[in-house]
Amino acid sequence: MADIVLDKVGKRFPDGTVAVSEVDLEIADGEFVILVGPSGCGKSTTLNMIAGLEDISSGELRIGGERVNDKAPRDRDIAMVFQSYALYPNMTVRENMAFPLKLAKLDKATIDRKVDEAAKVLELTALLDRRPANLSGGQRQRVAMGRAIVRQPKAFLMDEPLSNLDAKLRVQMRTVVSRLQKKLGTTTVYVTHDQTEAMTLGDRVVIMRGGAVQQVGPPQELYDHPANLFVAGFIGSPSMNFLPATAEQGRLRTALGELPIGDRMRRELEAGNAPRELIVGIRPEHFEDAELVDDETRRRGVEFAAPVDIVESMGSDKYVYFTVEGERATAAELEELAADSGAAEFTGAGSNLVTRLSAESTVAEGEQRRVWCNLEKIHLFDPANGRNLTLHEGRSAGALAD
Amino acid sequence: MASLDTPAGAKWRWGLLDVVVVVFALVPVLWIMSLSFKTPATLTDGKFVPREWTLENYRTIFATDQFVRALVNSIGIALIATAVAVVLGTMAAYAISRLDFPGKKLLVGVSLLIAMFPQVSLVSPLFEIERQLGLFDTWPGLILPYITFALPLAIYTLSAFFKQIPWDLEKAAKMDGATQGQAFRRVIAPLAAPGVFTTAILVFIFCWNDFLFAISLTSTERSRTVPVALSFFTGESQFEDPTGAISAAAVVITVPIILFVLFFQRRIVSGLTSGAVKG
Repeated sequence: MADIVLDKVGKRFPDGTVAVSEVDLEIADGEFVILVGPSGCGKSTTLNMIAGLEDISSGELRIGGERVNDKAPRDRDIAMVFQSYALYPNMTVRENMAFPLKLAKLDKATIDRKVDEAAKVLELTALLDRRPANLSGGQRQRVAMGRAIVRQPKAFLMDEPLSNLDAKLRVQMRTVVSRLQKKLGTTTVYVTHDQTEAMTLGDRVVIMRGGAVQQVGPPQELYDHPANLFVAGFIGSPSMNFLPATAEQGRLRTALGELPIGDRMRRELEAGNAPRELIVGIRPEHFEDAELVDDETRRRGVEFAAPVDIVESMGSDKYVYFTVEGERATAAELEELAADSGAAEFTGAGSNLVTRLSAESTVAEGEQRRVWCNLEKIHLFDPANGRNLTLHEGRSAGALAD
Repeated sequence: MASLDTPAGAKWRWGLLDVVVVVFALVPVLWIMSLSFKTPATLTDGKFVPREWTLENYRTIFATDQFVRALVNSIGIALIATAVAVVLGTMAAYAISRLDFPGKKLLVGVSLLIAMFPQVSLVSPLFEIERQLGLFDTWPGLILPYITFALPLAIYTLSAFFKQIPWDLEKAAKMDGATQGQAFRRVIAPLAAPGVFTTAILVFIFCWNDFLFAISLTSTERSRTVPVALSFFTGESQFEDPTGAISAAAVVITVPIILFVLFFQRRIVSGLTSGAVKG
């Protein structure tokens, strides 16, 4: 049990590339922290530096208050679960799990007891005498976890432990990991590129991009109050809609029509250095079929009409894709997100608007439909630096705030 | 490998081809075995199966000190050279496959160069050097050149094996509390075992078969190996045809190779690393 503190930790490779730059992060004892970001964002390098598998180029890493920069992995007393599981194929499940204990020179009775305990927790008892080759993917994953928990280390590090499982098993194992971490109360750092895993598992989520931390916070906070365009686009599925907007005479001109803005926003936008070209971000669930909105709610937003492209009925909701006129919003962050999801080469004309409407909506493909959009929940971003302009003291108040 | 949907015709064609290759390779071996069991009188009768069976040829070769002595030399020299080459090769191959050190490309290049070098051009200089150093006609005099030429082979074979072992296993061992040495001994070495045995067999056969160095760098029974001793075989008297004895000796020296391969074959279990990582 220990806290982990990263104090301006950085990683620079000999060829000069900076993989991680000045990461500051305090992970409390027993906390479950997720490092998430697209591939190449430095999350795995950060984890490997905590593990001791990569040297730290600058800054200080403290585990349990003690500086461990120069300590070998085995002297840090932390366990790691690898994406590939990395089970020892020449050993049985029991030997795999006993391996760290044998290296710690525990006596045989203690080793047996601890392995049996860990096996029971992970329901591996029946598999103890098998070899990894004769296990399914999910079982191997559990053995890898068993090997980590068996010696009760100060912290667990997990490097995309579920990404090799099929979708169904992944959801199931997610709850297993979550329950296990709560039960053991061990500090855990978990790396993933899957924002769903990040949202569902962590006490806190660290979003990384290009080796730098973008935002740290509980999942809901990142979702509701993203600090910048990157975080807003990365968290959430389907992801936030981004539309270009122009600020003009106290209003925003967008593809959805003119949107009013509140006093505070207006004052900020009228300041000398404020950008005139903006990006509006709206989450799919902040739209609604205009027919289903009552008058009270209607006043908090605007209505517009657009042609319906595709309707996906999920049973509980309907995902409705609208085609809207005008340019696509452009910013470095958005291009990076598109590249990561593989959507970069997949651009049609005009922009697409993803909305999540009530299941009761009678919307049909091909028709023109009136849609309501909640103005209290929209975000405004500066395309130049991606900053969320609607964020005040960490809270996002929408564009209408006075 | 014939998959289930291979047409029957293709199977037959491949099968036939296999038979041709096997026959082509084995006929000389069977022929020499047949010769070794023939009596001097029937030696030249041209029959594949001996008309009169005899073990006389075998008795003859083991009765002469010449052959037994050469056999001991061969076994000793080949085993020592193999052991040294495999140990050094394992360490070098591990470093080459795992570490990035200055001069790595040069090292690999040089070892390739050694493997490519025509050995015959080295015989005269080696002869002079060994005479000066007093290594001529000694065991080390043969072991040293054998190691030199076997090492590139060992390094290449072994580094291919090491590259197959997922690096994550080593990282996992380190996280589990192993030192570099423990990680190598307890995790990597057992997995590299098939590669080590394969290499050992290849190196052993190379040393066992060598004729060029053995005939140039030896002069007496002190260090003469079997392939050379065979060429000096004369039989009991000058007028006796040594063909039977030579055949018997040739059969005898293939036996250790077969034993060696059979002994290690069980350990060359392919797919030993399966189950280590995803899949």
